[in-house]
Amino acid sequence: MELKIRKSGDNYIIDVNGEMDLYNSYKLKELVMKMLEKKVERFIINLENVDYIDSSGIGALIYICSTIKKMGLRLVITNIHGSVKKVIELTKLMGYFPISSNIDEALQRMGS
Amino acid sequence: MRDNSTAPKPIQVDENSPLFDKTGMLHKEFPSDFRQIRYFTLLIVQSAPPDIKEINLLEQQISEIIKNAVKHGNKCNVEKKVRIWYSFSSEHAHLIVEDEGSGFKDLEKWNDFNKKRQKLLEGQDYEALADFVSYRGAAADENDGGNALFAAVEYWSGGFVFNSKRNCVAMLKRFPQKRKGVELESEA
Repeated sequence: MELKIRKSGDNYIIDVNGEMDLYNSYKLKELVMKMLEKKVERFIINLENVDYIDSSGIGALIYICSTIKKMGLRLVITNIHGSVKKVIELTKLMGYFPISSNIDEALQRMGS
Repeated sequence: MRDNSTAPKPIQVDENSPLFDKTGMLHKEFPSDFRQIRYFTLLIVQSAPPDIKEINLLEQQISEIIKNAVKHGNKCNVEKKVRIWYSFSSEHAHLIVEDEGSGFKDLEKWNDFNKKRQKLLEGQDYEALADFVSYRGAAADENDGGNALFAAVEYWSGGFVFNSKRNCVAMLKRFPQKRKGVELESEA
């Protein structure tokens, strides 16, 4: 799994590339925690290039989402598709996660 | 797929469930090597017909069960085996996974937790749901998602049942049968 950060206005977009599985999902969690330490307040997690997610990946997203919510900061998860979407649907968390269908919509939701 | 609409599906304990019938099933066993869980999963899934793989959903669901056996059952002790019986067709996936651990002791607690979680989902109470998104057993660590079984009981809709010792779980999913041939319009 490869993680890239880019910026759009005040928003930090994290592009996740590869598989979010039991061996590497912690990397996304660690990256977001480091960004929080650096006072980043607006996150977009882009899953466009993620075709596989397991319970560790979902767990990482839950941890990130609940941490950011508790801190009163902003997060949108975007471009969820294929089996990633199916796994989130099976866990019934589509309504729990702040989800947008693409980056433009996520930026709009962020109010930029 | 509908969200938030089904009644909670408890995990059952039933030693005599027909899902434990291993007749005609293929068998493999693996050491409890955490690093090889996905590889072991692929060795099992490769015998499934492509149309039930749903890209990689079947693989993902099987990987979770093997991970539970390796990590929570056998505590990643490579001396301990995970035994898997499996059978696939275009209409079904049937799996039995057994570890050498002391069994899923938290099963009742998990069912209770899932019942509460389901209630919050139905009421779309996402604020309170924050405390029920992950189940944390006593032995869970921070890399455990705590959500694999929520998906498993939904995915394995034909049954998800433990033996009495709770170290062996059997599961079934049926896939809708695809119509073969051409349907002719009936004449008036």
